[in-house]
Amino acid sequence: MRMNRIARRSTAVIILAVIMVSGLSFFLVEYFMYADQWVISKGSPHVYDGSNIGCGIVTDRDGILLLDDRNERVFSEDQKIRMSTIHWVGDRYGYIQAPAVAHYAKEMAGFDPIGGLYSYSGVGQATLSLSARLQVAAMEALGDRKGSIAIMDYRTGQILCAVSSPTYDPDDPPEITEENQDIWEGVYLNRFTQSVYVPGSIFKIVTAAAALERIDGILDQTFHCTGEYDLSTGSVTCEHAHGTLDFYGAMANSCNCAFASVVEQMGAQALKEQVDRYSVTEPVSFDGITTAAGRFDITDASLDQVAWSGIGQHKDQINLCSYLTFVSAIANGGAAQQPYVVSQVTCGGEVTYQAQTQTMDRVMPEEVALELQKMMRSNVEVKYGVDNFPEGMTVCAKTGTAQADGKASNALLTGFVLEEEYPLSFIIVVEEGGYGQNTCVPIISQLLEVCKEVI
Amino acid sequence: MEQVLTALSDLDSTFVRVFLAVMRYVAPALVAAILWRGCRPLLTFRREPEIWAFLIASTGKRYPVTHWENVIGQHKRCDIVLELPTVSRTHAVLTRYDDGSWTISDAGSKNGVLVNGKRVKICALEPEDRIEVGGIEMALQPVSKYQVQRLTQNRTRASTGLKSVSDLLLLTIFQLLACLGFLLSGCEEPMSVVAGFGAIIAAQWGLLAFYLGIRRPAFELETVAFLLCTMGMAAICAVKPGEAVKQVIALLLGLTVYLIVGWSLRDLERAKKMRYLAAVAGVGLLVVTLVFGKEIYGAKNWLVIGSMSIQPSELAKICFVYVGASTLERIMNKRNLIGFIIYTLMICGCLALMNDFGTALIFFCAFLMIAYLRSGSVGTIALALTALGFAGIIVLKIAPHALSRFSSWRHIWEDPLGAGYQQTRALMCIASGGLFGLGIGQGWMKNLFASDSDVVYATLSEEWGLLLSTLLVVSMLAVALFAVRSASASRSSFYTIGACTAATILVVQTMFNVLGTLDVLPLTGVTFPFVSNGGSSMICAWGLLSFIKAADTRLDASFAVRKEKGSDADE
Repeated sequence: MRMNRIARRSTAVIILAVIMVSGLSFFLVEYFMYADQWVISKGSPHVYDGSNIGCGIVTDRDGILLLDDRNERVFSEDQKIRMSTIHWVGDRYGYIQAPAVAHYAKEMAGFDPIGGLYSYSGVGQATLSLSARLQVAAMEALGDRKGSIAIMDYRTGQILCAVSSPTYDPDDPPEITEENQDIWEGVYLNRFTQSVYVPGSIFKIVTAAAALERIDGILDQTFHCTGEYDLSTGSVTCEHAHGTLDFYGAMANSCNCAFASVVEQMGAQALKEQVDRYSVTEPVSFDGITTAAGRFDITDASLDQVAWSGIGQHKDQINLCSYLTFVSAIANGGAAQQPYVVSQVTCGGEVTYQAQTQTMDRVMPEEVALELQKMMRSNVEVKYGVDNFPEGMTVCAKTGTAQADGKASNALLTGFVLEEEYPLSFIIVVEEGGYGQNTCVPIISQLLEVCKEVI
Repeated sequence: MEQVLTALSDLDSTFVRVFLAVMRYVAPALVAAILWRGCRPLLTFRREPEIWAFLIASTGKRYPVTHWENVIGQHKRCDIVLELPTVSRTHAVLTRYDDGSWTISDAGSKNGVLVNGKRVKICALEPEDRIEVGGIEMALQPVSKYQVQRLTQNRTRASTGLKSVSDLLLLTIFQLLACLGFLLSGCEEPMSVVAGFGAIIAAQWGLLAFYLGIRRPAFELETVAFLLCTMGMAAICAVKPGEAVKQVIALLLGLTVYLIVGWSLRDLERAKKMRYLAAVAGVGLLVVTLVFGKEIYGAKNWLVIGSMSIQPSELAKICFVYVGASTLERIMNKRNLIGFIIYTLMICGCLALMNDFGTALIFFCAFLMIAYLRSGSVGTIALALTALGFAGIIVLKIAPHALSRFSSWRHIWEDPLGAGYQQTRALMCIASGGLFGLGIGQGWMKNLFASDSDVVYATLSEEWGLLLSTLLVVSMLAVALFAVRSASASRSSFYTIGACTAATILVVQTMFNVLGTLDVLPLTGVTFPFVSNGGSSMICAWGLLSFIKAADTRLDASFAVRKEKGSDADE
């Protein structure tokens, strides 16, 4: 055996060392290329708390603390704020997911490959467009009832208020059992973004818009409501006979018969085309959220079913956020602004994200929008009562009462304020709330008063 | 003690934050300094072979004899090159024994070896004997006392005691700061932390005191090993501080094994006898595990005795290196080579039955290294075939186990909550830590399975930074390179093979552990020597280090190298 040769062969160990160094170098290259992605991957322990944000602090539009996640997950000290904002900041255990804030994890965490996530004093902060005051007021207005209320700035797309009920205090979560599960049904959902509802009469805004575009001289037509409108396959009914109405009157009285006639004139195909053009049932995407998709399905529908679809029944379903975007477009003269809830993100004092108003390609001719504004204003003047709304606010609205299977009707209301200083659009659903007008008008009136102070 | 701990916990939180923030930079700087001081001499020492004798040709030419086994021949890679056509390429082997006696043997030469005019196969040499190799007449002259002294004076000292003390002082400062960091960051079990770091400090100073006592002051390898142990303790304190004491006991056992194995290696004749014991122990450990072992996490490689659980396959690694290096004998011997192949097959059979993929892989790499170091012209084919069979058995036996590991390899992000959970969390935490870490005790990795063993690299990266954890890998490489550099000056091929194989195991384990965590290689559950929490692994690491220590022939460097007294040479 030759010593020298063995000594030479011992360099094989060097080959191993070279493999080791190569492997580690390969990793270091990967590190500098991808570490920023790793660190904000879903579930990254120092950025997320489950799927919710787990670093930095979250405040409302006025700087009121909603969540401090620098060390432990600390919510607002005010129980009502905790309860009304949980669907936006997420709970402690990931039952309630808050993708909007989590979407800006990277901007909040302030990662750089040298220092990692370490920060001696700098802290990530997300400012939401929500107003904690409005959230609390809306939650209190809903009370024990299930539903959702949202208010948006239709000029910018900022969501000022969006509550979902039922809700709970994340610091005192309820024990959900078989007995009480009805009370807590859908508590983990953000009903504004994740649920769909039967729209009922608020869908007449869509049909009216379609009619304004498709039927010449619709405004000159008169309708005779006998309480029942016969179509060859069945009939559409009103609760009582409305008598003779023009198109404005049909809208204000929410006359099913008149609208059935409008749908009949327009034809199923044209209505479907308009619904698609307004993207009423399309999901909206913003801040990492994609809302639930609505539905307008008249495939193989009989004539009366198409007519019912035109007045927000049959198979119709809408998502509140998506529908509010549509209503906001009317308020904004036809152009829809993309909604958003995260206004600004800073990290260590540096602005890492700033929300921008973006106009979506949901187009409605301006003259149609203006006409609809007038019609919805007339609803208030003729039907809901100008005095029932706050002073100094020209509110345009449409109520709805939607039949849900087997349960009491859901009360709905949507609309907007025309004044330039209050560019607010809103939508309300109170589940099993009865008539839209009786239930929802007092609620929005109360909230719009709060808006005066918040804006 | 209690009072000190209470006082610490009362410290102002600003102070704590500042301390932890400063430690982010101080820690890697200190570790870099420790490694620089520790590794530089290991990598830059002059490789001066020891001279054991001179062959003096009748022409007056003196050939220094620098090893205990020297091949004489015409080939340029022989230890003593005689460029004459009458000399065979590999002509004869000149061998020195522990007692200072010498033999010469014929290595199958054409013209034979003559001692005092008689052709011999093997022959003990006396000082006045005339040796004839290929017509050249030579006499063997062992070095005299005077020459030993003169040569010794010219050789570089490994290290002075003062340097070792100052190196260790630096390490101790680092350990104290680390310990303080854990106490300040609000560790749940401060007493365990203090006990853990305290015991490491006590053990390292105890060992150095012993070295200074026996005048072998070189402490570089040990400094590196203790640094790695310290980082292992840092991981344990972050993950399961309650196990600190357990790990310290393992460290003390490891040091004991280190000294025992090192002592057995001092004497080559003793080592030769020990190899039978090692061979039996190696297979015995595995057989016992097979019979009485318990299956934990898919591999039946645990032996539970009372409250203790050990992995005998770790200890078998030490035996394997012992056997692999020593069955070589001192001259070429085919029979022993076959013996080693059979032995390897027995070991690999046991591991295959245990379903222990990770350890089998390590043995496989060690086997390949030994096979490569040993196979010159003889046995290469047999060894290669054995290697092939070894790999085949592993793959066949544990295919489902292995396949599942391979299926998520480089695909961890496709199933971040399932198969890729451990590694995606590891990468997220490494990225969160950046190059300087999030600070002592600030990590999340403690919530992850095996964060103090299989993916310990990520745990350390997260809290101490990628820079520091990379330095740990570098230090392991430095130890391996030292083994390679020592090889050319080594006394006997036994030490060279032992050191290189031990280095192979240490590097391969580090590689599979670290690169497995980082998803560069599949995750195999192999431990990071000295660092991973686990008693058997700790003992194994120290046992392997003693083979490297035994190859350190720098002057007065190693307790595992016997000092040659001048009187030896005079006999």
